[in-house]
Amino acid sequence: MKRLIRTILAAASSRGVPPIVVGLFFLIYIGIAFFTDETLIALMALTGKSVILAVLLALIPLNSALRLLMETGRFLKKRKMFKEKATEAIPEQFDEMVELPASPHFAGLERRFAAVGYKTRRTENALAAWRGFTVFPARILFLAGTFCLFTGILISVTTRASHRQMVIEGEPMPTPEGIGGTVKRIALAKSNGLILARALTIEVAPSYSGEMDRIFGIYPPSLYRGSFVYPRYLGLDLLLQFSAPDLPGGYLKHIILNCYPPGKEDSKTISGSPYRIVFTIPEPEPSSDRYISYMARDKTLQFKLLKGEELLFSGSAPVGGEFARDGYRMAFPEARRLVVTDYIGDYGVFFIWATALFFFVAAVIWLPLRTFFPRKEMLFRYDDSGIMKAFSGSEGGRRAHAGIFHEALDLLGAGKIDTTDA
Amino acid sequence: MAILYKLIPHLLSWLGILLVLLRGFPVRRTVVTVTGISGFLLGVAGALLLFRAFQGATPFWIIKSSLGVGFLCLWGVSVATVYCSTGRGAMLLWGERFATGSLSAGAVTGITAIVAGAVSACKIPGADGNALAYMALVLSACALTGLAPLLEKLLPASFKVSPSGMLATLVALLLFSSSSILRLDLFSPLSMKVMKGIHDFVHQFMESILIPDHLFVRPVVWKYIGFLFGKEVGFWGGIVIWFTPAILIALAIHFERLPSVAHIRQGAQRRRLLAAAIRERRYRLFIPALALLIFAAAAYQSSFPSVEYWDPKPLPVTATPSGEIIIPKRGEVDLEDGKLHKYIFKQGEREARFFVLMNPAGELTVDLDACAICKPDGYGQAEGTVICYYCKTLIPLETVGKPGGCNPVPVPFAERGEGVVIDSMTLINSWGATVKATVRAKEGAK
Repeated sequence: MKRLIRTILAAASSRGVPPIVVGLFFLIYIGIAFFTDETLIALMALTGKSVILAVLLALIPLNSALRLLMETGRFLKKRKMFKEKATEAIPEQFDEMVELPASPHFAGLERRFAAVGYKTRRTENALAAWRGFTVFPARILFLAGTFCLFTGILISVTTRASHRQMVIEGEPMPTPEGIGGTVKRIALAKSNGLILARALTIEVAPSYSGEMDRIFGIYPPSLYRGSFVYPRYLGLDLLLQFSAPDLPGGYLKHIILNCYPPGKEDSKTISGSPYRIVFTIPEPEPSSDRYISYMARDKTLQFKLLKGEELLFSGSAPVGGEFARDGYRMAFPEARRLVVTDYIGDYGVFFIWATALFFFVAAVIWLPLRTFFPRKEMLFRYDDSGIMKAFSGSEGGRRAHAGIFHEALDLLGAGKIDTTDA
Repeated sequence: MAILYKLIPHLLSWLGILLVLLRGFPVRRTVVTVTGISGFLLGVAGALLLFRAFQGATPFWIIKSSLGVGFLCLWGVSVATVYCSTGRGAMLLWGERFATGSLSAGAVTGITAIVAGAVSACKIPGADGNALAYMALVLSACALTGLAPLLEKLLPASFKVSPSGMLATLVALLLFSSSSILRLDLFSPLSMKVMKGIHDFVHQFMESILIPDHLFVRPVVWKYIGFLFGKEVGFWGGIVIWFTPAILIALAIHFERLPSVAHIRQGAQRRRLLAAAIRERRYRLFIPALALLIFAAAAYQSSFPSVEYWDPKPLPVTATPSGEIIIPKRGEVDLEDGKLHKYIFKQGEREARFFVLMNPAGELTVDLDACAICKPDGYGQAEGTVICYYCKTLIPLETVGKPGGCNPVPVPFAERGEGVVIDSMTLINSWGATVKATVRAKEGAK
């Protein structure tokens, strides 16, 4: 049983797991590409639905976690070995390992290593020499980042829920679980941020006593009742009043217009009649921001009135005003700002944010250490049987380091080392 | 004679394939020669059978898929090679034994030769009535197969071929051979798929971590994001995928660990052993480097094909007061002649470019002169296909009128009387919704 568990653990923590899993997903991606152009979306949907694919994907974070533990354990063992606190050496942790009959006189060797920039630690039966810094912290951060990345992807793909709602000024904030506080104000203003050019704020009043006013911005998105509030597009909630000679009863209704920004058309059919109205927001003055101006100032709407395929007339009217011609009357008593908002239930986002942080810090540590201060280490140990075991490993600059190691072995083997203490 | 001239790249590729195989399996020369020529003949015969059995693009699709599978195998082998070379003590000895056995020599040679033969046969137009051309191809291939062992003996001994290097060169030579045939070319479709893949990935990534839309983002930032949606990224992404296997194999050889010499107590002997190992490693780098050059030639040939396209100037059209665009089927142009007919419709400052085409099934189709992915550079028509000028993707005529991928975006229309009727608002909105959004994304929200 123990052997079985050990075999499973060895397989799960193998370096081959991530490329095999990624390769399999790549093959599935290619297969899907033969049937649909939305390949990535189809693959994500398939992974979300298929337990087998989800388990397959889960092998990567599992592998990262196991490797993180295993490599930390190995690193600590190696440290112990260098500090003479452990007796067992792991040859796989070194580039070279050699045994030779030699006496434990390390004083001369220690001086030679010190002369070429190595730090040393000498005990009665062992000599450790090293220089540079290990990239192990970067490796650990990389593994942690990989763990977070694939955990985040797995959580997102399998649990993400998205609900699109219209957040309208003056109306209660709709949420997937019901309604929240009243939306007090929606504002779009210029922003001086590095990334964002415009700042959108949605102010929401408390929905129950004890709750504070909430303000939702764009990034990072805020959580509201378990979901991220993710503003997508802007629009208008227009109260439309319309009457025609053959529609004396008239029409009065709130309509949602997706005609933002200026120039974009949206049309609404007057139910139970042959009429269709095409709306556009006129382009603002050239000096003003075409996105912000309309959100900030009084609104005017351009429209075209069609009866079947026939264009009856076109014109414009301000919000609060009206337009009348040939027995037709159109009025816009009220228009409110609207934000098309997605409520995203997805805690994988936290893991993906953490990934970005881990990978960034790992790169910042790895690059200078690996380039300028690569870790090189040697260990010479003498045991009671009269055999010396020598280990050497390097994370960079291998050949120069190997030359120093071989030369030291030659001297030890030939007994040409100065045995007197300095 | 002219056909022989056209076959030169394919015959040169075949000779290259034979030389690499003979050097890669030095003790299996008979197996390589016999299997090689048999496979090549089988490939030519197989291609002929495919052309007789299937109409349209199917035979090309089958041969192109086999090339794609070969390229995927190369990717797998290159990744495995890197892992084996960096892992401590992870050399796959059983794999090496298998790679040099007569079974693998026969299998590798046979598969490569079949594909090489089929690709070469695709260069000869028309399955019937070209018996002389096929005969010329087969005889030339036989002559080269006889010549190859003699030429191989002239190659220097230092010209060493590792199993992974050999695979890289074989795949590179097959892709070089296929890149001169428009319908077998892999590089342009790969670039297009990469462009679409990156587009989807960036979009999904932004959605995943809830990054806001371009409405809220600085134009300069959006310009950088928009850059990721461009043809250049597709091209360079394609280049990366195209070259990476050969580069990985070269890196695997370059970073292969030198043998441990710590047990040798004579410095001179140690140095001699290390120098020999380093020299041998360098010689083995030659083949992946050669594969890189061949991959580059294939990509060049694919990017600059020597084909001319039918691309008429768009004719201006207007709409009736009720907003209908009516194009007569016969008149100044014959819409039913199977050619691409381009039109341009202007409404104020807005305009839309579209084309009318009768597909091989005899059905008219109206489409935007643009797809939902690329910048609207438009389409040209070649034999049996239209090509997207932006990403160089070939769209079989049979699929024009169907939405998706790099296909032209279909526009709803009606055939009324002797004309084709299109709603102008639908046309303009369709152009605005798909094409303009694509331009904005690609040009950084200008």
